[in-house]
Amino acid sequence: MKPISRRDFLKFGGLTLAGAAGATALGHSAGGASEVAAKPLKPQMQHGDDLIPGIDGEVDHEANGFNPTEILTDFDYGEVSALPNGQTLREFRIVAANRNIEVLPGIGFPAWTYNGRIPGPTIRCTEGDRIRINFINGSDHPHSIHFHGIHAGAMDGVPGTGPGGSVAPGGTFVYEFDAEPFGLHLYHCHVFPLARHIAKGLYGAFIIDPAGGRPPVDHEMVMVMSGFDVDFDDANDFYAVNGIPFHYQNHPIPLKTGETVRIYLVNILEFDLINSFHLHANFFNYYPTGTSLTPIEYTDTIMQTQAQRGILEFSYKHPGMYMFHAHNTEFAELGWTGMFEVTE
Amino acid sequence: MTEQTTKSRFTFRTLVLLLLPIVALVGVIFLFLSTGGGLDFQSVAPIEDLTVERYELSPGHIDIYVRNSGPEDLTLAQAIINEAIWPIEVTPNATVPRLGRATVHIDYPWSYGEAYGITLFTTNAIAFDVEIPVAFNTPEPNSKTFWSFALIGLYVGVIPVFLGIFWFPVLRQLGRRWMVFLMAVTAGLLIFLGLDTLVEALEAAAEAPGPFQGIGLIGIGAVATFLLLDALSRKQVNTGSDETARRLSLAYMIALGIGIHNLGEGLAIGAAYNVGEIALGAFLVVGFIIQNITEGLGIIAPVLRDRPGISSLIWMGLLGGAPAILGAWIGGFAPSPTLAVLFLAIGTGAIFEVVYEIAKLIQKDTGKQAMPLTIFSGVLAGMLLLWVTGLLIK
Repeated sequence: MKPISRRDFLKFGGLTLAGAAGATALGHSAGGASEVAAKPLKPQMQHGDDLIPGIDGEVDHEANGFNPTEILTDFDYGEVSALPNGQTLREFRIVAANRNIEVLPGIGFPAWTYNGRIPGPTIRCTEGDRIRINFINGSDHPHSIHFHGIHAGAMDGVPGTGPGGSVAPGGTFVYEFDAEPFGLHLYHCHVFPLARHIAKGLYGAFIIDPAGGRPPVDHEMVMVMSGFDVDFDDANDFYAVNGIPFHYQNHPIPLKTGETVRIYLVNILEFDLINSFHLHANFFNYYPTGTSLTPIEYTDTIMQTQAQRGILEFSYKHPGMYMFHAHNTEFAELGWTGMFEVTE
Repeated sequence: MTEQTTKSRFTFRTLVLLLLPIVALVGVIFLFLSTGGGLDFQSVAPIEDLTVERYELSPGHIDIYVRNSGPEDLTLAQAIINEAIWPIEVTPNATVPRLGRATVHIDYPWSYGEAYGITLFTTNAIAFDVEIPVAFNTPEPNSKTFWSFALIGLYVGVIPVFLGIFWFPVLRQLGRRWMVFLMAVTAGLLIFLGLDTLVEALEAAAEAPGPFQGIGLIGIGAVATFLLLDALSRKQVNTGSDETARRLSLAYMIALGIGIHNLGEGLAIGAAYNVGEIALGAFLVVGFIIQNITEGLGIIAPVLRDRPGISSLIWMGLLGGAPAILGAWIGGFAPSPTLAVLFLAIGTGAIFEVVYEIAKLIQKDTGKQAMPLTIFSGVLAGMLLLWVTGLLIK
């Protein structure tokens, strides 16, 4: 609103003196403006303890068909059998479907999903396994699954590489390849316009364990970082890990002191250049892409661009409430914030 | 006999014939709504519109007053303030009916003097932006702020108008030609003010919620005011008032027109003050006094040859200037774009009607001796006077 008369104060007075000048000038006539300028800024804040960004209420997880608390530890190992040559075969069934997701209480988002959830299922296997993905496109748009990994071009899920590059609505395709290299990867739709197909929700984590496995830990978790552009202006309105903004702020992840934790962290955030992860009051070992068993850094903050991923390992020494969030603070206050609740 | 028949036909058959199309209309509407009339009205995306009427800041708290100006109910779901999600509370209800109002309450630690951008999201993920260019405590309607706004009105309205009226004793001694010139100056001033008021009305109309049809309101307010004042002045002629009385009432009408203009001005000032867009420096107030002194001059022009009492002059000055105070109060404490449109439209109609009255008076005065150049230079001088003094303030 901008109700300005022919007197057009704004252009004349500018914003510099602000409204206070008016009030004071009226009271004390001419000297008013300079008096105000000389005064220190008065902080008109009331920082209540509980005054933090966030949401009241809860999205309807049941109607959504998924709950981030469950996604955290939900690893899909597929249907396991052995091939004649002795190789392990893991079969997965992934259905692309349109789905209205309540991303924040009251706000619906017409999402595109793999198996009705955001992120899609966390596919997990061991190095050298044969992976067979039965992909069914149950939506009204062409979609595909593009895996990060080493495989034949026809299995890459990109338009122009064959029938698997773009699967028509109602169509099916079987993606099949050997799992390599070991590490933490991801998959997503690669049909164009790519940004929209990713931003609408078609992505998930893809874990290939090394042949001998990783050292055992007390907790393994997957965290897929993404955002939602609910008004379709090609800029994210909300940010989240595992689909729902602020979920782990409202539902802290329980841990015990001394317990070892491994987080598989994937960034698939569209529109923004980078994403990040910061762990409070602690440090972690970081294994970028998980392709080595030796950490490259001992830190408390890492940065990932889209499709970058890595494994974090840590344990908490002291009990308490500990925040973890994107250290792009804007993202943090728009939903990408969670808490660990550490008890003895 | 014919008269009898006409009467009876009017009572029965005419009534039926009168009602028939209305009954048929109800039937058509019912049919259309129940069948869709063969047209597909399914919209691809929900159409929602929200008008932000004003906001209020108090320590640690932001209130946003909104009106649903869309075709259907909408439900407010979430808010983002400067790129952060903050919990909101909506009263009386998050679901706002068409043309209904609601208030969004947000506990937020805003800081003095900073800018805030708020985005309100509906359940259909439609975003509406609210800009707070400069944050400061919204003046509450208490005795102190009432007095502040009264002072604003006093400076921009009452004082300048009275200063202009103080010229009365001097101007009385002018000759006939100069008096006609002054009347022409007044007409020029009023034409300038009328255009200005009309533009303000158009600007306010753009901000009013769509269903209230701001432009239509301008037409209604301006035309109705014009015709009403015209009817009043004709009635006075018919009842045989003498020339002196009619000139006095013209002066009152000029005062009224200017008063409504100043009311509109007060509205804008009050509202601008509330959103921090106004910095009333001493220089600005000086500019106001210089420009609005001409308004006082215009009021007394028709009665220079008469002997209006002091009380008349005081009443005219108050009528012309005091509405600025009222406007500042309304604009400051209960701004409403729709109300502003109506006030400004009334002002437009009143001012142009008064120009018409002055034209009639000049015509009568110059009946014996035409003074086209005097009138031309007077009207032009009046308009230039406001344009030049406007340079001080713009």
